[in-house]
Amino acid sequence: MTRTSMLSLALFVSILGLWEAFVRLTGVSPLVIPAPSAVLIVLWDGLTVGFLWPHIWVTAVEALLGFGLGCAIGFVAGVLLGEIDFLRRLLWPYVLASQVVPKLALGPIFIVWFGFGMTSTIVITALICFFPLLENTLTGLQSVPPEKRDLFRMLGASRRQTLLRLKIPSGLPVIMAGVRVAIVLALVGAVVGEFIGGDAGLGASIIAAQGMMDSTLMFALFVVITALGMLFYQLTILFERWLLSSWMKGQET
Amino acid sequence: MPNSCNFLDIHSASFAYGDGTDVVSSVDWSIPAGAVHCLVGRSGCGKTTLLKMAAGLLQPTAGSVQMLGKDVPAPSRNVGFVFQSPSLLEWQTVLDNVLLPISLHQTVTEADRIVAEELLELVGIKEHTCRYPRQLSGGQQSRVALARALMTEPAGLLMDEPFAALDAITREELQDDLLQLAAIRNTTVLFVTHDIGEAVYLADRVAVMDAGRIVFSADVDLPRPRNQTQRYSTAFNAACLDLRHAMSPQSSAVA
Ligand SMILES: Nc1ncnc2c1ncn2[C@@H]1O[C@H](COP(=O)(O)OP(=O)(O)OP(=O)(O)O)[C@@H](O)[C@H]1O
Ligand SMILES: [Mg+2]
Repeated sequence: MTRTSMLSLALFVSILGLWEAFVRLTGVSPLVIPAPSAVLIVLWDGLTVGFLWPHIWVTAVEALLGFGLGCAIGFVAGVLLGEIDFLRRLLWPYVLASQVVPKLALGPIFIVWFGFGMTSTIVITALICFFPLLENTLTGLQSVPPEKRDLFRMLGASRRQTLLRLKIPSGLPVIMAGVRVAIVLALVGAVVGEFIGGDAGLGASIIAAQGMMDSTLMFALFVVITALGMLFYQLTILFERWLLSSWMKGQET
Repeated sequence: MPNSCNFLDIHSASFAYGDGTDVVSSVDWSIPAGAVHCLVGRSGCGKTTLLKMAAGLLQPTAGSVQMLGKDVPAPSRNVGFVFQSPSLLEWQTVLDNVLLPISLHQTVTEADRIVAEELLELVGIKEHTCRYPRQLSGGQQSRVALARALMTEPAGLLMDEPFAALDAITREELQDDLLQLAAIRNTTVLFVTHDIGEAVYLADRVAVMDAGRIVFSADVDLPRPRNQTQRYSTAFNAACLDLRHAMSPQSSAVA
């Protein structure tokens, strides 16, 4: 472990210590701020007894399916709009409008269409993940230096080859930056989607815990969501490293 | 007048970018097949633009550009282009970059790979075959770009300051290699450079461009094959001086 990551850990531990001391000394109600130790116990119970796992599973599946769907559609749409000028000029205002609409505000209508449960949440998540991919794919494809385009023209490359062998690989770092944004948004989308229309999952559990005035459980759920988000993010980074491994060669750090 | 044994005929060709002012104006130029012509001129005078017109990457806004007696509405695979920046694909190895002109059109054979390795040896970066472009120095990158352009054995080579990033010795070696290859393959070369000595050394004919026009051109009557000792001959220096005068009449008159 490096010095800074040790310091980072020490900071975390001391914040927890201060928090614990604060709760114990002031005797503030656990309804307002539960002690870290109490949260830890609930968390431990939830994970060992197992009542948290089904919810983790539901939220993870929603987030990942929504993420996969949104990324795939966003990427394909980005390629289409990037390649076909006419389509871009025709559709861009609509794409933009669809993004300016707060997507969570669409939640209720999705519930009308898809019912309570996973489908609505997945659709909302996909809609949230769609835009960063679309935008970054568009930017990535258009950021090819003009000389490289000329090179492919000189070499007699077809349009398809120019797309597959120049534009997409060349835009890949930008596209992957979009993926990183999307994975973070996916979890937010899934949790908040469950607030509106979920019957299971971590977001739905938060609403249920709120109903029972169980702040300690709510904090335990925050911890789980954070851990899940970190896990997703790290996996995305690993995937990106693998995908861009030849890109990275010769770059500092 | 267009002549059937010319590789390239540029006939009062002009080019203007979007803003409408001519960047290249009424250029006449012919290159016989197998000849090496050099173009010098100050930065921004339109050399790259002219070269891209010759390649068919840009279409003249007036006049015509003909290759082997035919218009060039689109780039021809018979011509290799070495761009001013190396333009390598960062996500592919040096070897794959050199093989790109082949791999775009057919599966790469072992024979292609051997040719690519020979070219990489020729330009002096054999030991970096499996590295990635970002792991190379600027000069090494431009040598990879040169090898890539030679890969298809094109009948014509259009080169935009290919040696600008190299040290004097490597540059001289590559000049000799280029002349040798061009002679063996009977390649027609149009070579843009800032270096007067390089222009005289390589060329059968040199031209000076200024503000979009060819303002001077002359044959270089030095014996072939060239060798680097000729650089110190009186004839060579006289040719250089002529070119120097043509490039900036006022300042050299004072000097
Ligand atoms: N894509 C472009 N759009 C508009 N103007 C351009 C473009 N490319 C070049 N120009 C202009 O055309 C002129 C000639 O450019 P060109 O690249 O042909 O010069 P050059 O002689 O190759 O210069 P250098 O020696 O610096 O490479 C310049 O004044 C430049 O500003
Ligand atoms: Mg130039």
